[in-house]
Amino acid sequence: MVRPAAVVLAVMLVLGLALSAPALAQTKEDTIVYSLQSDVDSWDPPASVLREAIILGYHAFDHLATRDLKTRKVGPNLATSWRNIDDTTWEVKLRQGVKFHDGTPFTAKDVKATFDRVLDPAKKMTARGNHAKIKSVEVVDDFTARFKTDGPYPLFVERLTAQVMQSEKAMREKGDQWMGENPVGTGPYKLVKWSRKQEHLLVRNDDYWGAKPYYKYLRVRIIPEKATEIAELLSGGVDVIKAVPPDQMDVIDKSGGARTATSPILRTAMLQLDQAARGGPNPFTDRKVRQAANLAVDHDSIIKHVLNGLGDRVATGINPMAFGWDPNLKPYKQDLAAAKKLLADAGYPNGVDIVFNEGPPTVEPAVQQTNDAIVSDMAKVGFRVKRNYIGDNTVLVARVKEGKFGPMFNWSWGYYSVFDADAILYDVFKCGESYSYYCNKELDDLIATGRNSLDAKKRTEIYVKAQKLLYDDAAYLYKWGLRGVWGISNRVEYTAPADEVDRLFLATPRKK
Amino acid sequence: MRRYIARQIVQLVVVIFGISILSFGILHVIGDPVLLLLPQNAGKEEFERYRHLLGLDRPLYMQYWSFASRAVQGDFGQSWYGNAPAFRLVIERMPPTIYLTLAGLLVALLIALPLGTIAALKRHSFVDTLCTMVAVAGQALPIFWLGIMLIIVFAVQLRLLPASGYGTWQHFLMPSFCLGAALAPITMRLVRSGLIEVMSMDYIKTARAKGMLEWRVVVKHAFRNACIPVITVLGLQFGQLLGGAIITETVFAWPGVATLTVDSIRNQDFPVVQCAVVLLALLIVAVNLLVDILVGFIDPRVRAGV
Amino acid sequence: MSAVGAPSGVALGADRVAPMPAPPTGMWWRQLRRLKWGVGAGIVLLVIVLAAVLAPWISPHDPLVVDIRHRLAPPAWMTGGTQEHPLGTDQIGRDLLSRVIYGGRVSLIVGVSSVLLSSTIGILLGLAAGYFGGKVDWIIMTVVNVVLTFPFVLLALAVIAVLGPSLPNMIAVLGIAGWPIYTRVIRAETLALKEREFVTAGRALGMSHLRLIFRQILPNLVSAGVVIATLQVAQVIVLESFLSFLGLGVQPPIPAWGNMLGEGRVYMLNSWWIAAFPGAAIFVTTLVINLMGNALRDWLDPHMKL
Repeated sequence: MVRPAAVVLAVMLVLGLALSAPALAQTKEDTIVYSLQSDVDSWDPPASVLREAIILGYHAFDHLATRDLKTRKVGPNLATSWRNIDDTTWEVKLRQGVKFHDGTPFTAKDVKATFDRVLDPAKKMTARGNHAKIKSVEVVDDFTARFKTDGPYPLFVERLTAQVMQSEKAMREKGDQWMGENPVGTGPYKLVKWSRKQEHLLVRNDDYWGAKPYYKYLRVRIIPEKATEIAELLSGGVDVIKAVPPDQMDVIDKSGGARTATSPILRTAMLQLDQAARGGPNPFTDRKVRQAANLAVDHDSIIKHVLNGLGDRVATGINPMAFGWDPNLKPYKQDLAAAKKLLADAGYPNGVDIVFNEGPPTVEPAVQQTNDAIVSDMAKVGFRVKRNYIGDNTVLVARVKEGKFGPMFNWSWGYYSVFDADAILYDVFKCGESYSYYCNKELDDLIATGRNSLDAKKRTEIYVKAQKLLYDDAAYLYKWGLRGVWGISNRVEYTAPADEVDRLFLATPRKK
Repeated sequence: MRRYIARQIVQLVVVIFGISILSFGILHVIGDPVLLLLPQNAGKEEFERYRHLLGLDRPLYMQYWSFASRAVQGDFGQSWYGNAPAFRLVIERMPPTIYLTLAGLLVALLIALPLGTIAALKRHSFVDTLCTMVAVAGQALPIFWLGIMLIIVFAVQLRLLPASGYGTWQHFLMPSFCLGAALAPITMRLVRSGLIEVMSMDYIKTARAKGMLEWRVVVKHAFRNACIPVITVLGLQFGQLLGGAIITETVFAWPGVATLTVDSIRNQDFPVVQCAVVLLALLIVAVNLLVDILVGFIDPRVRAGV
Repeated sequence: MSAVGAPSGVALGADRVAPMPAPPTGMWWRQLRRLKWGVGAGIVLLVIVLAAVLAPWISPHDPLVVDIRHRLAPPAWMTGGTQEHPLGTDQIGRDLLSRVIYGGRVSLIVGVSSVLLSSTIGILLGLAAGYFGGKVDWIIMTVVNVVLTFPFVLLALAVIAVLGPSLPNMIAVLGIAGWPIYTRVIRAETLALKEREFVTAGRALGMSHLRLIFRQILPNLVSAGVVIATLQVAQVIVLESFLSFLGLGVQPPIPAWGNMLGEGRVYMLNSWWIAAFPGAAIFVTTLVINLMGNALRDWLDPHMKL
C-alpha cells in the first residue's frame, strides 16, 4: 500500500537531487550581472546586426581601434598606429604580445583573415556593408597589415572600431558553425557557458594584454519582460540594465538599491515605410501617403509626455551627434488637416488600412507606449493600423532582412557607434541593402560620392543635400534621437556609455 | 493485472496516435508553410523548389508517415529560428518544467491535506466554512496575478527571494508556491469529500465501536482508503498541473518548456511548437498510465474492470 | 420497477411521456436562505453583465481615446487624481474606468460564446455516444480522451499558434478546447437514462431516435449541462485573460482585462492602478460565477458528481 508519506519523501528526494545541480563557484562579490532582453543567435559578431551582439563582442573580442568614452576620440587598441601611404592605401601597425583565448598569438594574418571573411560576398555577413570600401588586406609582416580601399575612405579609422578581430586558426580549422557558438577572441572575458535564451557565463581572461576587469565572472542574463528586468534590478538579481522606460525611472531612483543614468546616444528611431515595395505593393509607395504619415504625428508631445523629455527630435534619420547633420533642417510639424488632404489626394479619402510590425523594447525605451501614441495620432487622419508584435529580436531581424516586415515597422539604428551620417545612410536608406526599405537612385549617388571624398566641407554639403531629399520625399516616418537610460545597482560603479556599448569590464564595486 | 495493464497500454497507443495526428495537422492547417519561410518576392521556382525540398508536394498521408517515422526517432526538424534541432531545444527545457510541476504538487498537497482533513473532520463547523470560502476565493484568483503579486512583495519590496530565473532552491519557492496555491483549492475539496465519504463507511464505525482512538481511526483507516480517489483524481490532474505550470513559468521567466512554447508561438517557429506539444502530451499520457497502473495496484475493484 | 419520482406527467400524448424533472419543492424562502451565497453572487453578476451591456451609456469616456498629456493619472481619491477619471488613466491617457467596463464586454462575449459553442458540441456528442453506444461511442470517447489529455491552456496555445490572435479566434479556440467535459458527463447521464421506463416505452411506441433524444432525454440533462457551462464560463474568462496577458489573445487597443493586465505589468510599482483594477475585475467576476455555479449545482442536484 502506497503511503502518502512515502510519496512525499520520494518527491523531496528527486527535488533535492535536482537542486544539487552544479552551481559554479561564483559568489556575489566576484560576479557582475548584466541583462539583455533578447539573446543573440550567434557569437560571431560580423554575422549579426543586433546591438546585443556588438556588446557581447566587446567582451570576448578586441577591435583594432576603440573610442575613448570621455574624449570621444578614436585611439589605438589592437592596432598601435596607422597612416595613409597613399589615397587608397592604409598601413596599420599591430600590438605585439597579444594572445587569443586558445593561446595562439595575434598577428597580421588574423587581421587579413577576419576582413577577407567579412567581405566575402558568398558569406553574406551583415557587417559587409560597413566595410565594403575595403578592397583587400595584405600581410606585410607579422605585425603590419596593409589595407587597400576602393577610392579614398575617410571613415577608415572610425570603422576600425566596428570590427572585432577573430582567430584565423579557428576559421581554418573549425568553420562558421563552430565559431557561432565558441568565440575565440583576444578580449577581457572568455565564454564559459551559453544556455540559449537563458544566460551566458563569462570568466575573466587573466592573460589579457590590457587592463583586467575587476569582476572575475560576468553573467549575462536574458530577461525578455521589462517588468521582470526592473524587478530583478530592484531585488539585486541584476546589476546593470539598459533601455529603462522613462516612466520607471522614479521607481528605480527611489528604491535605495539602484539608480538611473542617462546619456544621449547615436541611436535614432524611425518607422520604416516600404517605399521600395520589398514586401509587395502597399500604400507607402506613394509619397503623399508617406508625407501624410509624417504630418499626422505630434512627436514633440510624445517626447515630452511619454519619454519625459528624453529624446531629441530629428528631421530625418541623421542624429545630431553624427558628422554631416544639418541643424537648419526643421522636422515635420503636426498638421492633421494637411495630412488628411494628402491621403485623400492619394486616393484614400476614407482612410487606409496598414499593418504595423513592432518589436520588443530592447534598445528603444518605452517603444510600446510611444507606438501607442503614434498609432493613435495616425488614426486621427485615417490610417487604420493593425498591429503585430514580434517578441524576439532574432526573428524580427530575419524578417526585416527578408523584406517581409513592411509596410510599416519599428526600427532604430545605432550607427555601429560610428559618428557619421554615412553610417546610417548606407545601411538604412540605400537601395538594395538588407535593412533598407527605400530606393532612390539620386540618394544612392549622394551616398557614393559622400563615401569617396576626403574633404570634410564637400561631404557636409553632400549630406545636407541628402537630408533635404529624405525630408522632401518623406522616405520614412522620422521620430527622434534616443537618450539611453540605464539602471545601475548601487553596489556597482558604472558609467552610462554614450556610444551605447555597455562595457562591463570597466565596472567596479562602489566604495561605501 | 496483466490484462489491465495491457488494456491501458492499448488506450495509450491510440491516444498517442491521436496526438500525433493533431500535431501534424497544426503545421498543415495554417495553409502554406513555405509562404512563411520565403521572402515575398521570391520567384515561383523558389517556391516550387522549397516545396519539393520540404516534401510538401507529396500526398498528405506520405507526409504524415515521414513526420511520424522521424518523430519516433526524435527528429522534429530544425527550429526555424533557433539554429538547433527542435527536439534538442525542447528536451533541454523539460527538466525545469517537470521539477516545477512536482514542486507545485508537493505544495498543493502540503496545503490541501491538512486543511481538507480538518474540514472533513469538523464538518459544518466554522473552520470548515472558512476553508471552503478560502477554497472558492482561491479558485477565482488568476494564477498569473498571484505570481506577479508574489514577485512584488517578496522580491522587490522585501528582497528576500529572487524575482525570476532558475538555479537555487530560493528560485523554486515562489513559483512552486504559486502553482501549489492555485491547485490547492481543488485538491482540498477533493480530500475533504473523499474523506467524508470514507468516514461514513461501516468499517470506520466498527473501528470506533472497537474503542480505537479517533486519530488512529483517521490515519490508519480513513486516510489509506481515501488515498484511492484522491490519487486517481490527482493523477488525472497532472494535465491541469502542467497547465498551471505553463502559466507560472511565463510569469517567473522559468526556463522551461512552457516559456519556450509561448516564445515559439510568438515567433511562429512551428517545428518547436509541434515538438513541444507532442512531448508534453506524451508526458501527460505517461503519467496517466502510471497513475492508472498504480490505482489498479491499490484497488482490486479497478483491476476487475469496472 | 417504478422509478423514483414517479411520473407526475401523465401520457398527454405521444410527446409527453417522460416525467418532468422534479421542481425544487419546499418553501422557496428557505431555499433562498440556504443558497444565499449563490443568490448574492448572482446579483453581483447581474450588475457586471448589465454594466458590460450598457457600457456605451455608462462609461464616462471613450475607452480608445488617447490623451498623452494626462497619462498615468492616479485614481480620483489619490493626490493628482481628478473626478474626470475616477479610476485614473493608463499609460497613454485612456480612462481606466471606461476600459474596465468595456473590458467586461470582451470577457463576457468570449465566455458566453465559447461556452455556447463547446456545450453544444459536447452535449450533442455526449448524447450520441451514450445513446447509440458501440462504435460511435468508442470513436467519440477516444477523441474525448485524446483532447482531455491536453491541458486546456496548452490546447488553446497550440490552436492560437495556428490561427493567430484575435477575438473570433479566441472564441473558436476556447470552444474547441472545452467540449470534452460535457461529453463525458452527458454520456454517463444518457447511459443511465437510456434504461429508464419512459425511454423504453417511447421506443415501444415507435418514436424515432431523434425524438427520443431531444424530447425525452435532453430535458433531463439540462441541469447538468447548465452547471458545467456556468463553471466553465469562469474558467474561460480566466483563460482568455491569460492569453491576452501573453499578447496572444485580444489585441490592444481593444480593452480586455487580460491585455490591460499585461500592459500594466511594468507599471505595478508606481502606477499600480493600471493593472490592479482589471485584475480585481477578473477576480470578482470569476468568484461570483463560481459561487453561482456551485449554488446552481446544489439547488438542481446536490448529488451530482462534478
